[in-house]
This record gives sequence, structure tokens and C-alpha cells, in this order.
Amino acid sequence: MTSEDSGLPERPPSPGIPYRQILNFLSSMQLGIILLLLLAVISVFATLRPMEEAIEHIYTSWWFIGIMSFTALNLLLCTVERSDFLYRQAFRPNLQLSAEAIKKMPVSRMIKLKRIEADPLSGARAAFRAGGLAVRIVDGPSGPLLFGEKGRLGYFGSIVTHLSLLLILFGAMYGALTGFETGGAGMSGGSFFVPEGNFRVNIHEVKMEYLDEEGKVRPRAKSNVSVTRRGEEIGRQLVSINIPLRFEGTAIYHSTFLWVAHLTVTDPQTGRTTGPLKLLPVRGLYAEGIFQAARPGNLRRELPPNTYYFLEDKGLYLLARQFVPDFLTVSAERGLVSRSYKPNRPVLSYYILVEGGPTPRWDLLELGVPKVVETVAGPVQLELSGFENAAVYSIARNLGRPYLFAGAMLLLAGMYLSFFLVPRRFYAVLDGNGTTLAVGGRGYRNKLLVEQVMERIESYLQQKEGN
Amino acid sequence: MPALIEVAPAALFVENLFFRLATAAFLVATTGYILNLAGKKEWGSFASQALRIAFVLQTAFLAIRGINVERVPFVGHYEFGNLFIWGTVLVYLWTEWRQKDRYYAVGAFLLPLVLLYVIYVNLPLVNPVHRPLPLVLRYPLWLNIHVSTSVLGYAGFSLAFALALMWLLRAALEHKKNAGQVPLIFRAVFQVLPQPRALEDYMYSASSFGFLFQTAMIVSGSIWADASWGRYWGWDPKEMWSLITWFVFAVYLHARFTQGWTGFRTVALVAVGWMTMMFTWLGVAWLLPGIHSFG
Ligand code: HEM
Repeated sequence: MTSEDSGLPERPPSPGIPYRQILNFLSSMQLGIILLLLLAVISVFATLRPMEEAIEHIYTSWWFIGIMSFTALNLLLCTVERSDFLYRQAFRPNLQLSAEAIKKMPVSRMIKLKRIEADPLSGARAAFRAGGLAVRIVDGPSGPLLFGEKGRLGYFGSIVTHLSLLLILFGAMYGALTGFETGGAGMSGGSFFVPEGNFRVNIHEVKMEYLDEEGKVRPRAKSNVSVTRRGEEIGRQLVSINIPLRFEGTAIYHSTFLWVAHLTVTDPQTGRTTGPLKLLPVRGLYAEGIFQAARPGNLRRELPPNTYYFLEDKGLYLLARQFVPDFLTVSAERGLVSRSYKPNRPVLSYYILVEGGPTPRWDLLELGVPKVVETVAGPVQLELSGFENAAVYSIARNLGRPYLFAGAMLLLAGMYLSFFLVPRRFYAVLDGNGTTLAVGGRGYRNKLLVEQVMERIESYLQQKEGN
Repeated sequence: MPALIEVAPAALFVENLFFRLATAAFLVATTGYILNLAGKKEWGSFASQALRIAFVLQTAFLAIRGINVERVPFVGHYEFGNLFIWGTVLVYLWTEWRQKDRYYAVGAFLLPLVLLYVIYVNLPLVNPVHRPLPLVLRYPLWLNIHVSTSVLGYAGFSLAFALALMWLLRAALEHKKNAGQVPLIFRAVFQVLPQPRALEDYMYSASSFGFLFQTAMIVSGSIWADASWGRYWGWDPKEMWSLITWFVFAVYLHARFTQGWTGFRTVALVAVGWMTMMFTWLGVAWLLPGIHSFG
């Protein structure tokens, strides 16, 4: 029996040569199955842990990457070892088949011919054609042999699939080694530098686009962004959700928008004003817990930049806590509650902190309504004098993208070849004194289909005989 | 502040009506297939007819739902679940149409599975509210490919699992038969259950169908995520579990084809594969946190 049915690779014998044995093991399906199961089991446990932890301790650990590399090696060796066999399988079919051999095929029939024609194989040829096969007649050991086949490319399904997986793994590795992922944010007129890519992102304007009358639907933020390197522009675009700015294998994605409060501070005694200070509310940026970590005593170290202003002469920290555009009420778990996204009634909540002092309670400011508050350093007048929006970006470089994409498409093609282009071969010779037709068929992977095609061939022949 | 879509009461009524009718029709079809399996042959074609009607009702329900939410209905468990039911029945009806009435026995195993999914979308905890699609997800081409391939992948795996159940029942009855004690009610069942080998061949076909579409789902999902979030793979639990399902079926396909595994071991792999698939769909959302919580 050829290995056409079992698919078991023909392997060179390994008479005690360790290197050959090691190679055979490394390219074996057993190892492949073990590795796939191992990856599956590890992944199950990994998903039970918080995602960041799993990424840090499992998915990017040396041993997980090691298992993946082993899988890649296994795939590569297996593909190399097998390609020759599959090539012969596809292009050098064994046509030296006797009637006996045909009868022993996985699917076979002995069909009695009632009428003897001049060319007894012609009926079978038509039947094969009706079964969708490409047909030819060759000389076999027991006379002319009718050979029909279809789906020859299907033999290469596994090779294409495996090579595509290697391409995907390569693309992922290349992308990971040459790429980066980072973030950045800014308001109109702001800019920030991305050291990983050695470029500066300049935000020329941030606009809000409301999608409905009442502002109930989250609006779309659009920002006009340019990218420069040493003053030279290398990219420019209106960035918004799902419309990233792409350049040099890098993309700048809009990830969210924030409200920025403009706070004006006046000293009631001297009448001196500071501001407007542009502050990012901490609650919009971080969970309340992070603010809790920034206990007085650690303020300078713990407070995120742009979220506070230090009033030097008074020793006070002004901290923007939460901004809502359309204030409705205050809820215990959500803080300020907004009616909509439209700035109908902007309200800011804020803290005044003193280094080493107790955690204070927060208070509210309405737009354009100044408020004098008593502090340990005397009275201070605060006013929410305006607001604007900041855009938050995630920035990623991935040079592996073209390989990943090509690999993915090739993967689908390979699977299509594997599962839907089922190679099938049929053989027919006249048996005995020419009154019986021996028809045999075999497929690659799919006996069911061979059986169906055989039924079609048989019923075609019987119909013809009946006429 | 996820705003909801306001649906006119009449439109809501029609939507719910078709949903209930489809549920009832699935119940009837399931009963028919089971009676057919139990030896009441005349119920076979009735069940098949009922299933076709159920399918038409489900299609109508999804179309109305789509009109009411102004998009393809696949957001959240309610919509995706219903789409998944639709896809599973579509794949089954297609195979039944090709295999004719000898395939009714498979229906007696697949339909209870479908009914399980139907019961799930009927549960009060599955919220049927009408929500607009979050902006970040609006990437029509890849999104639609992602959703339709996932439905077909899940459908293939469900069919494979139904065949695995058939195989298991047959094996259990075979065992009893050898001991000479098949309960009377199972005599008829035993008669119509196909040979284990044939079941395994069907199981292989259904699994490879599911596997192809599961692959397409992962690929299109990655491309979509890359376009929307700037990363094609985020290691989030939903992604990981779809990959785990993919691994399990890859092992099954290799074990069967290359290693020549047959019988219980392959059936067990398909069963495990179906369980991981179910966990990807339900377990991840209810038990594990992640960014895929929208559905
Ligand atoms: C891990 C190492 C792997 C090894 C050593 C391996 C080896 C093999 C071998 C020897 C075959 C035989 C079929 C033939 O030659 O035509 C095969 C088939 C196949 N492999 Fe792999 N494989 C591996 C991983 C994978 C993975 C991860 C996938 C992705 C799903 C995959 C997809 C396929 C497909 C689709 C087929 C055709 C299967 C069938 O017809 O049932 N392989 N593989």
C-alpha cells in the first residue's frame, strides 16, 4: 500500500544514527501534536490570570517563546521532509495497476457489462467525465487502464498551510523585534516626541463632531495631526477613530478623547490672577485608585503631569478631578454624572491639596462662576473659565504587517486546498474476458467523497447499460 | 452612557413575535427528529419541514431585528446567539438536503443542541436591548467577514459535536448489545444510527469545515483589530480561547489524518473542541474579563 490513504509520511529508516533519529523526532507529527496541546493547555491557564500579568509572565516569557520556536522548527522540518513525497504523490501517480490491485482499493466496484462494445472503456470514460474527472488512458499491466483524477493541487494543501504558518510566525517575530507600541496625548497646538520612532507628533487642532442632536451618542473626535522629524514633515492627516495616520510602517491611532479644564486662579488680596491653567482631570485619565496612591507627602512624585498646578507662593496643589460637559447630578460610584456629551452645563470637580496634609474633599465649579474658597494659606478665588478637548493616541510600529497579511491569506488558501480540493483518483480496467469493469477509487483524506463520486460513476454506467 | 436605539412599539412587537414563533418551531422540529429517531419514521419528513419553517422564521426575525437596530444584528449575546442558531441550522439543512432522509438521525442530535442555544437566548439574563454599534467597531468589510465566518465556524463545530454524541451513544448501545441488554426503546435507535466509521467521516468533514471558517474568523478578526486598535493580537481572553479551540481542532485533524487515530480518542477531541468553543462564546464573557465584553 502506498501511503496515499493514511498520509503517514514515508521516513528514511533510522538505523541507530542519533542525528537522523533526532531529526525524525523534531519533524514528527507526534511532536507537533504535543506542542499544540502544550500551547493550548498553557493558554488556558494564562487566560485565568489578569491579562497584563499573563502577557508579562507567560506570553512574552522565554519559555513560551521557546515553545513557539520549537513549533516553528517542527513545522519547517516537517515541511522540508515531506515536500518531495508530496510532489511525487501529486505528479507521479502509480499507473501500473492490475485489476487485482484496483479491486483492493478503498472504494471499488466490479461492474458487469451487458453489451460488449468495440471500445469497452469508452462508457467508463464518459462516466469518469460525468464524475468531474480529467481522464486519460495509459498502458497498464492488464491492458489499457483508464485513469481519472481531480483536485491535484489538494496534495499541496498541508505544505501551503504550514509554510503560511511559518510566514505568520516570522512576521510576528520580525514585527515584535523591530516595532514598538506607545501612547501620547495632547490638545490643540500641543506636541509630543516619540523617542522610539525619533519623530514628533504635532496636534494642530482637536475638533468634536456630534453625531446626534442631543449629544447622547459619544461624539467623534477628529484631530489634525502632523508628524515631523527634525522639523521635516513626514506625515499629515485628519486622525479619528478608525482612521489612523500611517507612515513608515507606523500608525497613529486615535484611542480616546479627554476634556481639559481651564482654571483661572485669583488671589483676592492682591488681585493677581494666574491662568488659565489647562488641567487634565485625573478621573478621566486614571481610576480613582491612582489618585488615592498619590497621598499628600508623595504628591510631587505621584501626581500625573498636567493634572495639577502647584501654587508656589501658597504651597497649594490644585488638582482637576473630573470634568463633565452636561452636569446632571453627583452619584456615589460614578462621581459627576453627565446628561449628555454636549457642553450644555460644564462642571469641574477639583481638590486643593497640601503637601503632608490630610486628603481633602472635592468641590465643584460651574463654568464662568468664580468661587472663593478658604484654604490653609488663606482665601483663593477659583474659576472654571473654559474647557477644550485633548486627543489620546496609541502609536504602534509594526514592520511585520505585510508578512502577517500575506501569511494569513496564504493560510486560508492552504486550508481551502486541504479541505475543499480533495484529490481523488479513479482507475478502471477490463477484467477477465472483458465482460467486467473493475473500477477503483482512492482519495486523499476524504473517503466519503470518493464513495459519492463512485456512486455517480456507477449509476451513470448502469443507466447507460439499461438503455 | 451607551445610548439605546428607540424602537417603535409595533416594530418591537413584530420582532418579538417572530422570535417566539421561531423558538416554537425549533421545539416542534426537535421533537419530530427525536420521534423519528425512536422509530416513528413518519415524523422524519415532518421534522424536516418544521425545521425549514423554523429557519425561515429565524431569518425573518433576524431581518426585522436588523432593520430595528439599523445594522447587521450581531452585537451582544442575544443577537450573536440568534445568528449562530441561524448559521447552525443553515449548515445542517444544507447537509441534510445533500444526504436526504438518511440524515434525519443526525438531526435528532443536532437539534437538541440548537435547542440548548435557543433556550440560552431566551433566558432573562441575555439582554435583548437595541444598541448602536460602538464607533470603534465600525469597519464594515472586516467586521462582516469576521462575524459571518465565526457563525459558520461555530456551526461546523456544533455539527461535529452532534456527530460525536451520536458516536458515543452508538458505542454505548453497542456495548450493551454485546452484553445482550439493549433497552427496548433503544432498539429502533440502534437500527438507524450509522456505522461508527461513517460517523467519523462526517465528523471529520464537519470539523474541517468549522476549522476553515474558524481560521478565517481569527484572521479577519486580527485584521479588523489592527485597523481599529493598532494591534492585530492583544492576548485578550476571547482571542486566546478562539485560538485554544483552533489548537484543539488542529490536534484532532492531525491526529486523525496523519496519525491514523480513530474511534474514541478522536471523538473525545471533538467533544473537547466543542467545549472550548462554547467557553469562547459564553464562558469568556461571563467568567473572564476582557475587552471583548461587548459580545
Ligand atoms: C506543529 C507542527 C505541525 C506538524 C509537524 C504538522 C504536520 C503535518 C503533517 C505531516 C500533515 C500531513 C498531511 C499532508 O502531508 O498532506 C499535516 C496536515 C495538515 N496540517 Fe499540519 N502540522 C503541524 C502544525 C499545523 C498547524 C498549527 C496547523 C494549523 C492549523 C496545521 C494545518 C494542517 C492542515 C490543515 C493539514 C491538512 C490536514 C488534513 O487533511 O486533515 N498543521 N500536518
